[in-house]
Amino acid sequence: MNFNRIRIAFLLFFLSLLSTNCSEQNNKDEILIWHTMRPEETAILQEQLDEFMSENPGVTVTQVFQETEKMRSDFIVASIGGYGPDLVYGPADQIGPFSEIDVLRPMNDLFNSQYLSNFDSKALIYVNGHLLQIADKLGNHLTLVYNKKLVPTPPKSSGELIDIGKKLTIDQNNDGRIDQYGLVWNYTEPYFFIPFLTGFGGWVLDSANFPTLNTPEMVNALRFIQDLRDKYKIIPNEADYEVSDALFKEGKAAMIINGDWSWSGYGAAGIDYGISPLPMIDATGKYCSPTVAPKGYSINKNVSPDKIYLIKKLLEKIFEPANQIKTALATKTLPTRKEVFADSAVINDPILINSKKQIDLGTALPIITEMRAIWNAMRPVYQAALSGNISPEKAAAEMQKNTLKNIKDLRESYDDPVGGLIVQILLIAIVVVSIFMLRRSISAFFSNLKKDGLAYIFALPALIVMVAVIFYPFAYNIVISFSNMNLSHMKDWSIVGFVQYVNVFREPQFYSIFLKTIVWTTINVTFHVVIGVSLALLLNKNLPGSKIFRVLLILPWAIPQYIVALTWRGMFNYEYGAINLLISNFLFMSPVEWLKSPMEAFVAVIITNIWLGFPFMMIIALGGLQSIPQELYEAADIDGAKWFHKLKNITIPLIRPVMLPAITLGVIWTFNSINVVWLVSNAGEPSDKTHILVSYVYKAAFNFYRYGFAAAFSMVIFLILLAFGVTFLRKTRATESVY
Amino acid sequence: MKDKKKIIFNSLTYIFLIGFTLISLYPIINVFTISIRPGDKLLSTSLAIIPENASFDAYAALFSDKPFLLWMWNSFLVSAVVTLTGVALASTAGYALSRFEFIGKKLSMLGILTTQMFPATMLLLPMYIMLIKLELINSYFGLIIVYSATALPFCVWQMKGFYDTIPFSLEESARIDGCNRWQAFYKIIFPLAAPALVITALFSFMTAWSEYIVAAQVIQDTNLYTLPLGLKSFESRLGTEWGLYAAASLIVSIPVVTLFIFLSKWLVSGLTLGSVKG
Repeated sequence: MNFNRIRIAFLLFFLSLLSTNCSEQNNKDEILIWHTMRPEETAILQEQLDEFMSENPGVTVTQVFQETEKMRSDFIVASIGGYGPDLVYGPADQIGPFSEIDVLRPMNDLFNSQYLSNFDSKALIYVNGHLLQIADKLGNHLTLVYNKKLVPTPPKSSGELIDIGKKLTIDQNNDGRIDQYGLVWNYTEPYFFIPFLTGFGGWVLDSANFPTLNTPEMVNALRFIQDLRDKYKIIPNEADYEVSDALFKEGKAAMIINGDWSWSGYGAAGIDYGISPLPMIDATGKYCSPTVAPKGYSINKNVSPDKIYLIKKLLEKIFEPANQIKTALATKTLPTRKEVFADSAVINDPILINSKKQIDLGTALPIITEMRAIWNAMRPVYQAALSGNISPEKAAAEMQKNTLKNIKDLRESYDDPVGGLIVQILLIAIVVVSIFMLRRSISAFFSNLKKDGLAYIFALPALIVMVAVIFYPFAYNIVISFSNMNLSHMKDWSIVGFVQYVNVFREPQFYSIFLKTIVWTTINVTFHVVIGVSLALLLNKNLPGSKIFRVLLILPWAIPQYIVALTWRGMFNYEYGAINLLISNFLFMSPVEWLKSPMEAFVAVIITNIWLGFPFMMIIALGGLQSIPQELYEAADIDGAKWFHKLKNITIPLIRPVMLPAITLGVIWTFNSINVVWLVSNAGEPSDKTHILVSYVYKAAFNFYRYGFAAAFSMVIFLILLAFGVTFLRKTRATESVY
Repeated sequence: MKDKKKIIFNSLTYIFLIGFTLISLYPIINVFTISIRPGDKLLSTSLAIIPENASFDAYAALFSDKPFLLWMWNSFLVSAVVTLTGVALASTAGYALSRFEFIGKKLSMLGILTTQMFPATMLLLPMYIMLIKLELINSYFGLIIVYSATALPFCVWQMKGFYDTIPFSLEESARIDGCNRWQAFYKIIFPLAAPALVITALFSFMTAWSEYIVAAQVIQDTNLYTLPLGLKSFESRLGTEWGLYAAASLIVSIPVVTLFIFLSKWLVSGLTLGSVKG
């Protein structure tokens, strides 16, 4: 190898890095927007920004797309730290946590009441008199979308809905499989169930914002959805968002319940679709009322005063009537300025007009943070009720109970100065004692520095990089795990002792999830290693074509996880998935309801993860096999050894040193891997039964802002893995040399 | 007799390999189907590999409407530096841990492992604060340091494991021939560790190539977007542009496969028993 060339390449790369480092925050001519817009909305925003920049030379406005949950937590953290984007765009419900943590700048002084009177009152979000968000879009609401070819006039009532649905749910070739459904929608998600709850006269909160889930209305609504599926048989047995979407786009569903974000996609897929308000429930005489939420802009609290005029100017630009009309017509979302509603282009758009009708029948989504507690409590119980595991009456009671517990968790407040003091003293004592105990090692370190010089020169750079990145976040988490940091104590958190640790072990689900995590890890890693090593052994025989197989077999590792994980979810679909077709057509077994029952869903997640992980172990094993001298096998052949003797006595002992690190880390990574579980089981479905420990932490931290609890939970996970690591290393002697 | 046995054994090998290759490929073929299916549908009720009205519009759109090549170049830059850093630091640190006895060795070995044990989601928030304070937002330097630290624990351990399989006697004979310790390392051992270096390089590259979460925190400037950030911009809750996303996912995996094919050359070691004696 030519080391000079490598050295030059290195130098060039580092130089090029220096030149890309152009971080100048808080420049007063630069505006940064974080948003959660869809791609088509983003395109229109970019047009408006380009226009604004050409009118204001020297000004740069950047828009960055963020995932909803990630944007919330990142914005909170950045803003508390004194940074963050200048503008943050999203649905109004994010104002709940933002206002509690006080990270937004009120806009009362920027816009006078005359200007604000141009807006629909739903578009101005006030909290305690502070104007915290101005919306440019109204909606995010569900309506009935129908295929005009199949449904000439949309149903007005639940009776009509069932009649039309029955007529249009057809098994064309009489093979016992439905070929066209009357109605489809993502009905397993509580958000998509709310319109029926309201139609039956219920709602999730009373006027004092106390949860009201345990009501007869809830029971009736639950029973209605069950009837649609089991009694009238007009909706599919298993339908998530993507399945419903595909059925409607293929013309195999006459009606779908979906939100304003989806409509233009149906047009693009070639469906002649119409929008109609959701039907009236005959039993109550009330219309199904979906939630309605405005989406708009808020200003970061940290924006400097000399920049605020520019931001005001930008917002006024975005809110211009002409821009609102353009956005409304292109994205089929409703504008927020009153004069735009009267514009002929908007009035004559049948989609927008029917959408407006639905909004008028809608229920405003409360912006309080407690809504989180409600969604999270509803989802698992709702799904359990749908699958028939509990009765609707029990489900309603359970929802209420869980919501109250979630709200208690959300609002947990601990103040324990004594416990806090003890922990502080303990932490200091641990540091002092460990220094005292290590003092001999430390002095030996300095006296041996010269002797071991080369070893340190070799080892330290890597160690320093790792420690530099991990040390602060890790120490921070240790401290936070003893604190009461949560939604109510975001900035003024204090050390409260071991409360959060006690909470972790008191969590009733902790033990079952822990057990499941162990099962998950063991099965995954075993299969990864067995499949990986077997394939490597076969490939290593260097038969003709081995090289092609070698490349094809690493593909599951090379392709981005997100899309293949979702593809696997599709393959597990009950009716249309490839796996069930294989099982029923070739293995002559009855199809499996993969995603509906907890056990099968867990198996599905594991299968996907095994598929994703075996190529990695295969590559490691391929590398490890190279270190085995061929002569050893030749000698064994002369002795007449059987293949499994060679495997046992030569191959396994000699690839062990290479495989052990991969296995150790494989266990740790699998224990802590959240992506596949999240994607394939759609965040723990059914009924939160597919969680492993980390996905549980994730929920605590990001859905409920319980940072103290989540940090303590993470520490427990860390200690479990540490115990595993130490034992495993001692047992396998992986830290020691072989020769 | 022996030939017959060999033929059966080889046929079984092929059947096993072909079976696993089909399992590996099927979901990826599905991704390909999504990429040429019109109407941004993730799922379909049909199992046809070539859907009705198939078109390559998504591929064309990637290169004409989106700055896909820029993202690719940015990602390549970051990944290349992480790969070089990973190989350089892991090959040396792994060597020290395999060959030297020094104070803190066991602690370091365990310490390296512990960096992987804490759930990453919880480390992200304080890491974000740290990157802000160090003014590493919008800089590839911050990204590269974090990625290197993510890739190194595995790489160091893996290099150490591989060095362990190389007999000590090789360096001893080199020392007798007049090499110092450094020369013995980089003239004799380093080239012999080629298969492990390949794995280290691939792993480091992949760590940087497909990472989204840290990138989303560090990079706020669209001109500095890496591939995963670009890919995410096709995605939104309940409204992903599946055609583009699938097409991009397939193209994103091409460099990884190419790198693997390129590095495969060195996945064969020259290590034989004979070299110990020589």
